[in-house]
Amino acid sequence: MSTDTIDILRRAEAPIHPAPESFIKKYIFSVDHKVVGIQYFIVSGLMILLSGLFAEAIRVQLTGPHNTFLTPQQFDEAFTFHGTLMVWFGAIPLVTGAFGNFVMPLQIGARDVAFPWLNMFSFWTFPPAVLILLSSLAFGAPNAGWTEYPPVSLQAGVGIVFWTTAVFTVGIGATLTALNFLTTVIKMRAPGMTFTRMPLFVWASAVTAVLSLVATTALASALGSLFLSHVFNVPFYDPSRGGTVVLFQHMFWFYSHPAVYILIIPVFGIVSEIIPTFARKPIFGYKLIAYSTVSIALLSFMVWAHHMFTSGLGPWVTMPFMILSMLIAVPTGIKIFSWTATLFGANLRLTTAMLFVLGFLSTFTIGGITGVMLASVPVDWHEHATYFLVAHIHYVLFGGTLMGVLGGIYYWWPKVTGRLMNEKLGKWHFWLTFIFFNATFLPMHFVGLLGMPRRVAYYDPAFHGLNLFISISAFLLAGAFLLLFANAFWSLKKGQAAGPNPWGARTLEWMISSPPPHYNFKEIPEVYSTPYGYGEPLPYSAPYNQVSTTPTY
Amino acid sequence: MAVKTETLGHGHGYGHGVMTQEEYVEQRDLRFLGFLLFLFTDSIFFTAYIFAALYLRSAAPVWPPVGVERPDVNLGAVNAIILFGSGITAHYAMHRLKESRLAGYIWFTIATIILGSAFLGGQAYEYAHIHATWSGSTFGAAFFTLTGLHGFHVLVGVVYLIVTLLQSLAGKYTPERHFGLTAATLYWHFVDVIWVVLFFLFYIY
Repeated sequence: MSTDTIDILRRAEAPIHPAPESFIKKYIFSVDHKVVGIQYFIVSGLMILLSGLFAEAIRVQLTGPHNTFLTPQQFDEAFTFHGTLMVWFGAIPLVTGAFGNFVMPLQIGARDVAFPWLNMFSFWTFPPAVLILLSSLAFGAPNAGWTEYPPVSLQAGVGIVFWTTAVFTVGIGATLTALNFLTTVIKMRAPGMTFTRMPLFVWASAVTAVLSLVATTALASALGSLFLSHVFNVPFYDPSRGGTVVLFQHMFWFYSHPAVYILIIPVFGIVSEIIPTFARKPIFGYKLIAYSTVSIALLSFMVWAHHMFTSGLGPWVTMPFMILSMLIAVPTGIKIFSWTATLFGANLRLTTAMLFVLGFLSTFTIGGITGVMLASVPVDWHEHATYFLVAHIHYVLFGGTLMGVLGGIYYWWPKVTGRLMNEKLGKWHFWLTFIFFNATFLPMHFVGLLGMPRRVAYYDPAFHGLNLFISISAFLLAGAFLLLFANAFWSLKKGQAAGPNPWGARTLEWMISSPPPHYNFKEIPEVYSTPYGYGEPLPYSAPYNQVSTTPTY
Repeated sequence: MAVKTETLGHGHGYGHGVMTQEEYVEQRDLRFLGFLLFLFTDSIFFTAYIFAALYLRSAAPVWPPVGVERPDVNLGAVNAIILFGSGITAHYAMHRLKESRLAGYIWFTIATIILGSAFLGGQAYEYAHIHATWSGSTFGAAFFTLTGLHGFHVLVGVVYLIVTLLQSLAGKYTPERHFGLTAATLYWHFVDVIWVVLFFLFYIY
């Protein structure tokens, strides 16, 4: 069979969805990846807001050294819920479920993911998990932090049972999504789209899926053993019966270290899409960026014990983990330098999306550098469980993940809704976010280095001034998000029609109307080259090479 | 319910450009890869607990801990032979179906189901007679968690095989189109392989 025949067969075999008829099939139990993506976006967005409220409660408590706004018990619950909601219910579903679902199938020229029904099922594990988690607030909420180390986590009320069940449930959805995405990327790329012609966001989604497939199940077993320990008194973590609490830390971090890459790698993908679009240049080092993503993923499974340097592992364990952890700075540095090299000499267009990505580059780099510091065992012994650690994680997860995601929101919003956002309002949003983000988290490095421990409701009055400053900045940072909502509502009401390709981008999702029709591509496109060849004709078969790549915003 | 879905490229693919939803989900290569990935991620579940068992073992001065007995290796060996035997019958069942010999397929599948159930019975007998408890020691914790998880997988496998048997009696599978059976057989072999590791871990090592 010639290649042509195979291609024609592939086109014929990709079915067009039957158009959904009822409201429920269209918006509630939809199998359309775009609708599922929007559903994920809404629910995980709400979770991020809720998690943010818990964070603000923490900051209110810390406005004074002996504040009585929260009891120590409530304070513990607040940071536990802040972390849990942010990691599993906010950021991970946002970067995989929302962005991955909406963008990835469009970028590979597919009509849907490989298993549309399974995709719907994955999403519908999510809202019940949220309800289970929140109901634990009524039954003795978990309060040992998002990591839920035993024995503290086992001493709280029955809330830990709800907590493990909720995270397990949302993990099932995450695993099935990963399975679905990986099958989709491997099997359903448009004819001609070889691996090295895939957009970098697709690379990122595929690598994230691999991480998720390996790690999330390991988390499930850690959660399972915590659940069994509480409910059936199984002695995994009870030293009096031969168990050991360090085992949980191993099982937990074997998942949770790759999880931070599940959080950041899709954002690397988002950044790699936005930068060439607004630099109007081919991305520098396409293959290096793609392969460094893979090597970060491989390394991420070999560094989990750097979270446990203070758990008494001994030098022969901590030394290799220290070296491997520092090694991750190499592929990450390759990315940072490749993006910077793309910016070099470019005719930059500073849209809101681009500003957020430039903000990402600076803040994420700072977070990466403090990461290398913390990877060093002696430094970690000094800084572990202080606010320095809190500052580091927020520089990579807020300054990295969330900053990149905000860029992604401004970038793909016109594709999802068909309308442009207000650039002026968006720029205000960016500058306020960027300034107050740094005002909030930069001083945390200082109080941390001075020795202020995290996760404590009270603190030494010597730290009062800086903490008050941090808290006020944190309130203003939260306030900056109101501009995003205002912008979203403004755009939906009055936004200018976007047209298929307002940014003049070159990946496949911009070659069809905004919002895309439910079947995405009337005919499956053929792909002749990488998408980043700015200045060259579009590398797609007709009619997908007809769209103008001149920016129209 | 056969939902007709429109495709382009008339004259190519299934049913001359029109495909039912069932035909679409039968696209073997997609489902095969998806199912392999599922088995892979499932194996991580076991791997994590096997790691936990080895870790607890390394933390214990003697293994099994004082006052705890290993399960009877003879009973375990018989059970292992039963399970591996069921793997062989499952393999031949698949072959018979591919050769369009339906009666052979049915008998081999019934044999697999009986052997699988016998394994579960043996495991229940073992649970009733072993001198260890789930909450009593780390050996018990690892043993009951892992064999329990495995037993649950066997139970799911038996139910899965019964379902595919009923489906094939209703004419759902043909020698050309039988992804559900392929998946069930793969799953059954996967459960077999896990038992090799667990047998070594708890009865011998």
